[in-house]
Amino acid sequence: MLIMSRREGETIRIGDDIEILIAHVGRSRVKVGISAPRSMPVIAYEVKLVRDQNRAAAAARPSPAAISRLAARFGSSGSKPPIKILKPVHPQS
Amino acid sequence: MPTFETKNFGTVSYEPESILEFPNGLPGFEEQRQFLALNYEDTKPLVFLQSLADAGLCFITMPVRCIDADYRLQMSPEDVAQLGFAPEYQPAIGPDVVCLIVISIEESGPTANLLAPVVLNIRTLKAVQAIAPESAYSHRHPLTPETAVCS
Repeated sequence: MLIMSRREGETIRIGDDIEILIAHVGRSRVKVGISAPRSMPVIAYEVKLVRDQNRAAAAARPSPAAISRLAARFGSSGSKPPIKILKPVHPQS
Repeated sequence: MPTFETKNFGTVSYEPESILEFPNGLPGFEEQRQFLALNYEDTKPLVFLQSLADAGLCFITMPVRCIDADYRLQMSPEDVAQLGFAPEYQPAIGPDVVCLIVISIEESGPTANLLAPVVLNIRTLKAVQAIAPESAYSHRHPLTPETAVCS
């Protein structure tokens, strides 16, 4: 990995059309400005992790048995107050 | 009462005022803005987040307190503002918000995304999946039997 030292206000160029500006250096975080073509998605690494994890969670088709096992493992019988806003929605019979 | 035909739960009827509104959707599902929180007696404490735009889209979630009784919610000012609070406010789990954790049931076992809790304002039902990059929480926290703290 290439490591470069830059000061606040300085920039880095990657290729012909990506520019990275060190906009602000704080005590524990830096603000970075990124200019890139529209075709080049720029997202924080954590957002990518969560996006991929959400897609995996949605794509998994757990069996009813697996869901029941999960519920049973965490099931409580009244040790916590129920979440009031989550009104049960009843399937139509 | 309106009804919605779901893939996994059949037809559900719901009160319009119980719809959860995600102003920006969820990462990877930015177009999905409205969800129902379905909870059933025989699968407590699971909460199923069912999309109202996609009958087949449903996230399995659980209140964070079932997984980690000491979970510390850290939200960015932008996410806090999305819920309708003042940006500098840090909402509290319980009085202000409900915090649900998305579960992935994988072949190797279930994991919980503690990095990005789904946080919803209990008064407005505005919701956001709040990513806490500075937290030490994992996006794939293994759910072993020992982690159950609800019961």
